[in-house]
Amino acid sequence: MKFAFHVSPNLQSANSTQKIMRDLTIGLSVVFGCSVVYYFAAYGVSYALQAILLLACSLVTTFVCEAIFAKVKKLDIKEFISHSFGWVTSLILVMMCPISITPYAVIIATIFAIAVGRLMFGGFGYNIYNPAAVGRAVIFASFTGAATSLTTSATPTTVLSSTFNWLPGSADALGSYLDYVGGFGGLLLGSYPGAIGETVSLAILIVGVFLAVRNVIDWRMPVCYLGGIFIITALIAIFSGIDAYNGIPAWLWYPCLHLLTGGVIFGGVFMLTDPVTIPTVPAGRVFFALCAAVITVLIRLKGNLPEGCLYSILIMNTFTPMIESALDAPQLKQTKKAIIMSVCALVMGVCVAYYAASTTRAVNASKTLDAEGTVVAVIEEEDLA
Amino acid sequence: MSLFLGPMQKHIPGRKSLTDHSDAKILMPKKNVYIPVFTGRDSNCEILVNEGDHVDIGTKLYITKTGFEVPVYSSVSGTYTGMAKRPHNSLRPQPHMVIELSEEQKQIQAFEPLDWQSATFEQMLEFMKNSGIIGQGGAGFPTYVKYMKPDNINTLVINAVECEPYITADYKVIMDSVQDFVHGCRILQKLAGAQSCLIGVKKTHPDLIDCIRKELEKENVSGMEVRPVPDVYPMGGERTLIRTLLKREYDKLPSECGVIVNNANTAVLTARAFEKGEALSKKYVTFSGEALNYPTNVIVPVGMDVSEILEQIGGIKSDLESCKLIAGGPMMGKTMVANNIVIDRAMNAITVLKNKDLEAMTCMRCGNCTSHCPMGLQPVRIANAVKMNNTEEMEKRGAMLCIECGLCTYVCPSHIQVTENVRKAKRTLMMKKK
Repeated sequence: MKFAFHVSPNLQSANSTQKIMRDLTIGLSVVFGCSVVYYFAAYGVSYALQAILLLACSLVTTFVCEAIFAKVKKLDIKEFISHSFGWVTSLILVMMCPISITPYAVIIATIFAIAVGRLMFGGFGYNIYNPAAVGRAVIFASFTGAATSLTTSATPTTVLSSTFNWLPGSADALGSYLDYVGGFGGLLLGSYPGAIGETVSLAILIVGVFLAVRNVIDWRMPVCYLGGIFIITALIAIFSGIDAYNGIPAWLWYPCLHLLTGGVIFGGVFMLTDPVTIPTVPAGRVFFALCAAVITVLIRLKGNLPEGCLYSILIMNTFTPMIESALDAPQLKQTKKAIIMSVCALVMGVCVAYYAASTTRAVNASKTLDAEGTVVAVIEEEDLA
Repeated sequence: MSLFLGPMQKHIPGRKSLTDHSDAKILMPKKNVYIPVFTGRDSNCEILVNEGDHVDIGTKLYITKTGFEVPVYSSVSGTYTGMAKRPHNSLRPQPHMVIELSEEQKQIQAFEPLDWQSATFEQMLEFMKNSGIIGQGGAGFPTYVKYMKPDNINTLVINAVECEPYITADYKVIMDSVQDFVHGCRILQKLAGAQSCLIGVKKTHPDLIDCIRKELEKENVSGMEVRPVPDVYPMGGERTLIRTLLKREYDKLPSECGVIVNNANTAVLTARAFEKGEALSKKYVTFSGEALNYPTNVIVPVGMDVSEILEQIGGIKSDLESCKLIAGGPMMGKTMVANNIVIDRAMNAITVLKNKDLEAMTCMRCGNCTSHCPMGLQPVRIANAVKMNNTEEMEKRGAMLCIECGLCTYVCPSHIQVTENVRKAKRTLMMKKK
């Protein structure tokens, strides 16, 4: 009998990176499946097939990129791919794209996500930026026109951004927007064409709760991120004095509008929680999520971009090493510091809310939109009165 | 669990049912016992018997000369035949006193008992010092040292948690001698001058809780209470136990927040010393683990060879090529490369596990180690500092506070030896200090 030497402890939990990634893959697949079912039911087979085609293109590109990388580095290809979990990046990336995007754009986005976003930094575990966000940002900037003729309708985000300045000020303006997207229920269930992943918010939330309970994602990230957005936008509603809608006070409906429109729920549950690119310490994660919330709202209301979630994540990824070195001491000795940092983030949020509320012109007119999202009729408030 | 802190603890399957239902087996060595002449740091001791002398159970064998003074008493009757260097659980060979057993085992009174109810604090402290009692939780720190400055102490915590998986020795000791246990708690409480005494027991051992409560009722003791604690690791760690029972934090020693913590078995030994004049001779030791044919608790004299015990209880599974022999539990115990180590005074378990290691993967920075560390450290960050060989950062990140409980390695989904990385940081810092 040989008595082997091993450093203590000699017991390890049954949990593993593979299991975490398996759960995450299942979660993402469920959300993707919901979207495909929705597209099939609402628009027919061609839409559903388009979504699946995009995913297939992205997955193949990922595997090809990683195989080449492994070959060049003289690593075992099969083992490298199975330990790199590139398919998770693919799934997230495809779900961030609108259904109307061409497969070429998705392939280029995937190449950037995997090769530049991940492999260039050394592969899984070493990347600084969320790889899926890198890929999406590249085609966001350079392939705006690369859309198929499958659909021309604008997403709720672009409509809200271009037509309503992200600030529909009156009940009529909100009503006309909600008519276009199918009401709050429509936003929650996703019965509108947006990015593939943001389609069924309810499914994302349920999957998110499931993953948080299984400790696959850190519950602090979505809670602080979405909570932060809720608080800041509620303040905007109060500061700008916009109207109540059917008895719902503005500080309640306006945040809901922000949370349910665009990819913040998807981003909060699946992208902000990518452990590789966020701080490891819980206090740092809270600060990270709160800052991302502030930046998201700032970009939405004051930026030239229709969507802030993606860029807020990329910007905050840059600060991850800084947050980590700021919160490096034993945690029990720095709780005060962590609280001060988070309060600062919230104060910044209040400032952003005040700035946005005081400089953004609320759109009070009721605008009738056609299926493509272009304005066909405008009824000014004075006329209504 | 809060917004800024993780749970700082984790449930680990205890696998206690392997050994807690059967009675402890009383075993005796066939020929020799080997008493380690080693306490804590070195083997600088004064031997009090001559080669060829006859000793009995309770004969004083040696006294340590460096550090705190601790006498060691013989665990068997027999003849002292000389010194031998043998493998020891400190991972280095140490001198051992070889005592050849005589046929008849005789127990003599190691020292005069003391009526603790009428004794003064000074008398009791001197008695503790002379009794050679060391902490039975695993570290083996002399017990009397904790009571030398009893100012401001208001609570005595008796640690009967036994949070390490597999180990049931303390459970067996208390179940078999609950009266001694309660007396020991009362003696230690008086010695500490503490108003209250809390006994921490895992919720998952309701029979033990009942047993102690009944004894407390019988003796009509006031100011003493059994507190069930959740089945998580490291609940038996002083810091986690104090945090759970009293919601207090401290910097270095529990006495800073008015608490003294002692192990349950230490209380039993204290009662036997005060009331019967007995020194530590026999120990309850758990022999457990998946690689053993018949896991069980044993009662053996201090200094008995582990290989002999293994042989007597049915040995290691023969179909295994190699195994891990751990002195202690699987979380904090050290693996031994030889099976002829002996049972030392503070050892309460031998765990024998199958030798299979999980393949390590790249760290994905999930932060599990950070959110589970009972000391609130950030093991992943300390490991980064080790990689960069940055001693300043290791110090700043609090590597020296690590209690090496092993939870960070346990929870790591990438199967990285996180605890060992932190240990490297500790070693580097210690070297630097010298």
